[in-house]
Amino acid sequence: MTETRQGDILFSLKGVSGGYGGKEVIQDLTLDIHRGDFAALIGPNGAGKSTLLKLMTGILIPSKGEVTFKDKAIQGYSPREFARQAAVVEQSMRTLPSYTVGEFVELGLFPHRQLFSFAESPEASRVAEALEECRIAHLVHRSIDQISGGELQLASIARALVQNRDVLLLDEPVSHLDIHHSIAVMDLLHDLNARGATVITVLHDMNRASDYCGRLIGLKEGTLFFDGTPEETVSYGRIEELFELVCIVRDNPITGAPFTYPVPGYVAQGKKKGTP
Amino acid sequence: MAMLILAACLVLAAALSLGARFITPGELLQLLQGHGDPMVRAMVIELRIPRILMALAAGAALAGGGTVFQAMLRNPLADPFIIGVSGGAALGATAVILFLPPGVPVVAGAFAGSLGATFLVFSLSRRLSLGSETLILAGVAISFSLSSMVFLMYAFGRSSDVHRAVMWMMGDLSLGRYDMVLPGTLMVAVLIGALFFFHRHLDIISFGENFSRNLGIGGKSLGTIFWIAALLVALPVAMAGIIGFVGLMVPHITRSLWGGRHGRLIPLSACTGALFLLAADTAGRSIAVPYEIPVGVITGLAGGIFFVAMLFRRRQ
Repeated sequence: MTETRQGDILFSLKGVSGGYGGKEVIQDLTLDIHRGDFAALIGPNGAGKSTLLKLMTGILIPSKGEVTFKDKAIQGYSPREFARQAAVVEQSMRTLPSYTVGEFVELGLFPHRQLFSFAESPEASRVAEALEECRIAHLVHRSIDQISGGELQLASIARALVQNRDVLLLDEPVSHLDIHHSIAVMDLLHDLNARGATVITVLHDMNRASDYCGRLIGLKEGTLFFDGTPEETVSYGRIEELFELVCIVRDNPITGAPFTYPVPGYVAQGKKKGTP
Repeated sequence: MAMLILAACLVLAAALSLGARFITPGELLQLLQGHGDPMVRAMVIELRIPRILMALAAGAALAGGGTVFQAMLRNPLADPFIIGVSGGAALGATAVILFLPPGVPVVAGAFAGSLGATFLVFSLSRRLSLGSETLILAGVAISFSLSSMVFLMYAFGRSSDVHRAVMWMMGDLSLGRYDMVLPGTLMVAVLIGALFFFHRHLDIISFGENFSRNLGIGGKSLGTIFWIAALLVALPVAMAGIIGFVGLMVPHITRSLWGGRHGRLIPLSACTGALFLLAADTAGRSIAVPYEIPVGVITGLAGGIFFVAMLFRRRQ
C-alpha cells in the first residue's frame, strides 16, 4: 500500500513561517507536494501539522516565505476559487440539526453554484455517487445530528468529494474513530488516491500513516523532521526522537510497511516510568 | 404556520381597536366601507395605521437582523445591538436632542451614529482578524465607551432634554408618520429580501468559521451580509429608538419552533418579530390608558421573563 507516484508540483512552500498572534508555529519550512501524493503529516501535538494545513489552504497567511498552489500564490486565489479546486475536511465542526446527511453532502456543490441561481446543478448526481462511494447512502435522510462520529466523518469526506475529488486535505480524519470506521476512512482515502486524487492528511497514528501513505512528512517544533517513504523514514531511532518515547519497529506482516510498537512505561529518552 | 396567520389577524385587529379610544369592530367595518365618524377615521388612518406599519417594520427588521447576527457570530445569545448599532444611535440621538437646534431630525443623528459605531466595530474586528469572538468583544468595548459618552452628555444637557433623550432610548413607535414609515418599511422589505438570497451562506457559516471558508465563503461575502444586516437593524433604531430583546428573543423562538435553516428562519423570524412588536406596542398603549408604557419596557420585561422561563426549561 505504500507505493509512491510523483507528478508535477501541486503545492509548493518556500521558507514558510506562520502561526498565531505573532508566535511562529511553523518555521522556515520548504516543501513540495506533488500531484498524486498520498502524504501524511505526522508529529507530536503542537508540532504544527494543522497549522501547516491552514497555511496550505490560505486560511493562515505566512509571516515569511510563500505558498503556491498550481504555480500561483495561494493568496492570489479567492476562497471560492480555491474551494473549487481543492476540498478540505476539518477536524471538527458544529452541526446544524435540521440538515440531513444528503443535504449536508450536497453543500459540496456550493462553491460551484452561482449566488442568484435557483436552478439545480447538473452535477447533482455527484452527491448520490459520493454517498455510495463513502457507503453512507442508507443515511441520506437521517439528520446530521443523529449519526455517529464515524458516520459524520464519512459524510464530511463525501461532502469534500462532491466539492473536489482531485485534491483533498484532511485534518486528523480518524482521530476519534473506532477501528472499524478508522479503517473504512483510510481504505476510502487509499482508493481515491489510487484513482488519481492527491491526498494530504494529518494523522496521529503512525501505523495507519505507514500502512497507507506513500509519503510521511514528520514535523517537530514547526520544522521538517523527515520526509520520505515509510521505509525511508520509520526507524526506531527517528520515531523515538520525534515522539520522545521508546519503541521497536518491525514490518507489518500484512502490508509489509514498517510498524511501530511503542514500549509501555518508557517516555523521553528511555527514562523508566512504569513497568514495561 | 396556520397559527402564525391566525395570530397575525388577531394582533392586527387588536392594534386597530385598542388604544386611548376603543374602536369597535363595527366602526372598523364602517371605515372599510368608506363611512363612519370622521374623527375615528382620522385616528385610524393618521395615527394607528402608520404606527402599526412602524411596529411591523421595526419588529421584522430587528428579528431578521438578529437571526443573521446570531448565525454570523455563531452565538445564539448575540443581540444585533452587539455590533454597536444601538450605542451609536443613542449617542447620535442624544447629541441631536441635547445640543443641536430643534430643526435637526433625531432620526438622522441616530442613523448616522448607528452606522458610524458599526463601522468602528467592523473595522476594529477586521484589523484584528474578522473572527466572531473579536467582533463581539470589539462591539462590547465600543458600546461601553459610547454609553459612557451618552452619560457624559446628560451631565451637560438641560433636564427636559435629558428626559426626552431617555424616553427616546426606551423606544417609541408613536413617531410613525407616513413620510418616514413608508420608505422605511420598503427598505426593510428590500433588505430582508437581500438577506434571504444569502440563506445558504448563513447555513454554511453556522457550521463553523473554517468550514465556511473552506466552502469558499470569504471576507467579501461576510462583509456584504454583515452590512446588509447592520443597515437593517440601524433603520428601526433610527426611526423608533432602542427596542431591546426582539432581535435576541424572536430568532431563538423561531429557531426552536422551525429549525435552524435560514431559508425558513429569515422570513419566519421577520414575521414573528413584526407581530411580537406590534402586540407589545398595542399592549403598551392600552394597558394603562391614558398613559403609554414605552414599547422597549414591554419587550424588555417580556424578554427577561422569557429567558428565565427558558433557563427553567433547560434545567428540567
